[in-house]
Amino acid sequence: MNSHEIEKALFEAARGFDDAETQRAFLEQTCRENDALRTRIERLLTVESEAADFFSVAPVLVPEEAESGNGTQDNASEPARSSAETAPAMVDRYRLLERLGEGGCGVVYLAEQLTPVSRKVALKVIRLGMDTERVIARFELERQALALMNHPNIAQVLDAGATESGRPYFVMELVRGIKITEYCEERSLDIRSRLGLFVQLCLAIQHAHQKGILHRDIKPSNVLVAEEEPGQIGIPKVIDFGIAKAIEGHPATATVSVRGQFIGTPAYMSPEQAGINPHDIDTRSDIYSLGAVFYELLTGRPPFDSEQLANAAPDEMRRILQNHEPLPPSRLLNSIGQNELEAIAVRRQSDPSKLLATLRGDLDWIVMKALEKDRQRRYASASGLAADVERYLNNEPVSARPPSRIYRLQKLVRRNRATFASIAAVSVALIAGLSTSTWLFFKEREVRRQQALLLAEAEKNEKITRAAFLAREGKPGEANALLEQIYSLPQRPSLDGVSAFRAVGDWLALQQKWQEATRRFAFVMHLDELDFWGSVTIDYQAYAVLLVETGDLSTYAHFCRASAARYSKETNGDAASRILKSCLLRPPDAALSTLLQPLAKAAENAFPKSGSKPWAAIPVSLWRYRCGDYRSAAEVALPKEGQSDTSAATATNCAILAMALFHEGKVEEARGNVARAQKIVDAGFARLNVGNGSQGYWFDWLFARELLREATAMIEGNGSQGKATEELQKVR
Amino acid sequence: MSDITILLDAIGRGEERASADLLPLVYDELRRLAANRMAGQSAGHTLQATALVHEAWLRLGKDEEKKWQDRSHFFRAAAQAMRQILVDRARQKLSLKGGASAKRVSIDDIDLPHADVDDRVLLVDEALSRLEKEDPESARVVTLKFFGGLTNKEVAGILGVTERSVERQWAYARTCLFEMMHKER
Repeated sequence: MNSHEIEKALFEAARGFDDAETQRAFLEQTCRENDALRTRIERLLTVESEAADFFSVAPVLVPEEAESGNGTQDNASEPARSSAETAPAMVDRYRLLERLGEGGCGVVYLAEQLTPVSRKVALKVIRLGMDTERVIARFELERQALALMNHPNIAQVLDAGATESGRPYFVMELVRGIKITEYCEERSLDIRSRLGLFVQLCLAIQHAHQKGILHRDIKPSNVLVAEEEPGQIGIPKVIDFGIAKAIEGHPATATVSVRGQFIGTPAYMSPEQAGINPHDIDTRSDIYSLGAVFYELLTGRPPFDSEQLANAAPDEMRRILQNHEPLPPSRLLNSIGQNELEAIAVRRQSDPSKLLATLRGDLDWIVMKALEKDRQRRYASASGLAADVERYLNNEPVSARPPSRIYRLQKLVRRNRATFASIAAVSVALIAGLSTSTWLFFKEREVRRQQALLLAEAEKNEKITRAAFLAREGKPGEANALLEQIYSLPQRPSLDGVSAFRAVGDWLALQQKWQEATRRFAFVMHLDELDFWGSVTIDYQAYAVLLVETGDLSTYAHFCRASAARYSKETNGDAASRILKSCLLRPPDAALSTLLQPLAKAAENAFPKSGSKPWAAIPVSLWRYRCGDYRSAAEVALPKEGQSDTSAATATNCAILAMALFHEGKVEEARGNVARAQKIVDAGFARLNVGNGSQGYWFDWLFARELLREATAMIEGNGSQGKATEELQKVR
Repeated sequence: MSDITILLDAIGRGEERASADLLPLVYDELRRLAANRMAGQSAGHTLQATALVHEAWLRLGKDEEKKWQDRSHFFRAAAQAMRQILVDRARQKLSLKGGASAKRVSIDDIDLPHADVDDRVLLVDEALSRLEKEDPESARVVTLKFFGGLTNKEVAGILGVTERSVERQWAYARTCLFEMMHKER
């Protein structure tokens, strides 16, 4: 067998695998000793679809008259173009005009929409020779994923269908514009304007990530800026999600082909994309690429030299991307020639020293954080990156940089400069007219007071923001130290605040510092007023159980009444159940149980007749117990076969069951269940950590323990609990 | 035209020299046909290479009666002839453009999506010449598919293999060739 035959055989065999993993394994096996052969086959597999497409255009002849014409060069150059493709094709109501590019499994054409309105669009058709069902399904997935996106900075999907020959296509908004980097250079945009564009870009990518779509090839040529109004800065639009794939999808080829180049433009490619296993990519890879674009917007060039990378062999390129640290923007500019630096500065409406000063510090830090080799150290989300840039623009502390006191003070002053300035003006006036103006004296005091309030407000917000940041960074102790200093919430609290207080509240609860935890959760409840999320009702559970644990029964009673009233119209079974459960830690009085009726109804309706989970049983069994329906409460609370007997929910159900059984006179059984519950609760508390939905969160354990106390007191003690229940029965 | 028929019969009978004479005849015939078709036509009127080849075959007459060997010989020759014709025309156009076109076309200069058919023809031709030396079988498939514009089924008939086999060979051949075009810097 000669080498071509071997190659051919291997190529054909490898081609047959749809799954990249299996393909790789196959090649490893068959080319074990022979690296060169394996590289060769991999190379062929990579370019296969490119090749198919290249050869799909059939050669044609053109009339010779058109060529010779008058024999002048001008005439001759024209017909050359007409020989390019055959007559323009029509696809439904779109006329194809020109081929724009290719990627993934499709080709993109410039097309003209004819009806109902005439406009130019971008039309993407599945590539020739790629009509297997699997590819069509992938194409359809892509189309659907793109159609899900609805963002002013992302090119929109307008239409979809199939050609006469059955090839699927979809139509996208055509974006006319120029590359973002070119745009900024040509219009000589200053740094702030560039940052403004960049933030929009980040938010667009964030939108896509939230829909589960990675872009995978973010680079300047995929971010076009179209000028809308003359004199105004244009709107950036991200295009070519054509190679984006839904995160759940499985990319078949390791590299990406764009316009004849086989590898997704290396200068913007993340280290892991260049790596051996480029299938393990996530959103942070896009963030790296965003960082690279950011770098170029600031300095005029990408972090790595495109040419150098493109000319390098794949291994070398990988080595550079994964190991070689790029210079931070300010240092890079420091190292180039004076002339070049001046040119770059001019295009940013600045001069060399000013530009360097601007980049040094925060912007350096932000860029480098986005470009971290280790993706764990990058920004976790595109919106996080955008937020930091915005903080920079607002003179707020940037998270990328570890703050020092002086740094933060500088920011505080800069932000409140206006206020400080006006204070200064008044002070000067005062000094001048001190002997005559009592009025001014009072004004000054007023101003000072307002100033103090403003500063206190600002500091409070800052503390909260900082605490939120610390909490996210896994430093709850420090976060708590900050939040402790806050005794009342700022006028305009933020969502950051909720998460900070909640995180710290959880942390305190885990250390069984119930009092402090309660204080934090009080704030969470207040802040929750601002928003309606499913998680709000979880917060209610936490707060309720903390109140009971710390013995603050009057606040608890008040809380129950308020929550029951507030959620009386709740139809969502889960939310209603959580509120109901939270309000039944103590036997409810008549007023409260009336308020709880609708919630109980919703919970009962949502309760499945069979095969329910332990946690779902709790609200129902507890309610029935509190109402005196001991038998049906026992039925519901009875553990089912095969259910975990170490979870907080099971312990809770056992406690309820015990109490119900006790009322039915089955004392021994009741005792048995109490013992069982005790065992579970003891074990649970021994290894208390944040917990999860199935074993139980820390507040689920508190809940279980509380009911267990009640059950124990009832069975072993004086049975005083029973009286309260009888009260309730009378009322009903 | 009858010359070709006679030649094909001769080849069928196993006369060695006959096959060597076939190509120039077919070449002439195709060129003549092309000139006929293109004469006086406007610039937008293009003619697919494969259309030309098939027409020439039809003009040989009594298509159904021709044995598959005759088909085989004819189409192989026709595809080769087509290659020559296309390359000639491409080179001619290139020289008309003058100046810059004197430089050799390389795949990196071409923006592939907009690549001119002529550029493609020349690139493929060059690379194919190299491939022929290393892997004549693959080269044959390329000639038949690309220059002859024949379908997998037709190629299968001509080479006497299964359609599936053609598909696989074509996939490999074009990939190989494409890769070769890229190496040529």
